[in-house]
Amino acid sequence: MIKAKPKPLEEIQNYVESFDRILITGCGGCVSVCLAGGQREVNILKTELALAHSQSNTNKHMDGYTVERQCNSNLIEELDPIVADFDCIISMACGAGVQHLAERYPGKPVFPAVNTIAIGVDLDIGLYEERCRACGECVLAYTGGICPVTRCAKGLFNGPCGGTNGDKCEISNEIDCAWLMIYNRLKEQNRLEDILKIQPPMEWKNQVKRTIIQKGYENRYIDK
Amino acid sequence: MSDNNRNKIDTRAIQSILKENKKQIKLGLTMCAHCSMCAESCFLYMSKDYDPEYMPSYKFLNSIGKLYKKKGKVSNGRLEKMRDLVFENCVLCTRCYCPFGINIPSLITLGRRICRSQGVFREYDK
Repeated sequence: MIKAKPKPLEEIQNYVESFDRILITGCGGCVSVCLAGGQREVNILKTELALAHSQSNTNKHMDGYTVERQCNSNLIEELDPIVADFDCIISMACGAGVQHLAERYPGKPVFPAVNTIAIGVDLDIGLYEERCRACGECVLAYTGGICPVTRCAKGLFNGPCGGTNGDKCEISNEIDCAWLMIYNRLKEQNRLEDILKIQPPMEWKNQVKRTIIQKGYENRYIDK
Repeated sequence: MSDNNRNKIDTRAIQSILKENKKQIKLGLTMCAHCSMCAESCFLYMSKDYDPEYMPSYKFLNSIGKLYKKKGKVSNGRLEKMRDLVFENCVLCTRCYCPFGINIPSLITLGRRICRSQGVFREYDK
């Protein structure tokens, strides 16, 4: 799931400084699971902002509201009658949710309250680690299920690079060499020939908006 | 709207949400023929050994449906049971299918909305 981290309070305070009526919106999806932007975090942010404003003697009206998912049009619909009463919106959703709200309410400034960090796994409660950067060209089949984009410090699609320092990366003794891990995993699975398969250069598609149309839905969304 | 206040149930707030969505709830309750055709469209139902508590119709009938019939009057315990049903037994993938056109995800969302209005929601660190 998507993992996010709350922004510093001062940063959020700066965003909303010039607004009197502030709506804090939470998301019941990924950011709830990673404890960054669900209903409980909305309540906490509301309390923290209220305290900060009372200390600076500024009078602001704030309320919180959590929808099930900010990335789904049907699920943000219930905000329609609420948003009209506020000058700006703070969104505690991931970047997709923030943009979705901003598109739906173009007349209202929408500010993010979290930094969207990664697609990751839950190591423990409140402890998450990145596993995927959504590059759009998955090579995990050849790399023993270890992602070279997120795990290799250099993001190499073809490795190792020659800069292996023991079992660590040359850039830091704290970073494991992903390609050594890949080598060991493939060796364990008796698939070492896969490491020799050269992967074509990554076509970084993040300069344009990527749209996903699943197989079988082409006729529905693509003009003939 | 978002205060985490589990002891006091604000029946008026619940009734207001029920009233606002009366048409949709009533239609869902009237139209549901208990045909169980929605069951197989739910991956959770399929992966939980066909546990009837995961049937989409069961989830909306026993959450928003019961609440509507009881005119919004609900105890803390009942509301928490409802939370388990609409938050734990449903991931809101919105893939459930009703041959009569009942918008089941929307009714389950409504159940979640009512829970949230009372500060009852799923907490992921417990």
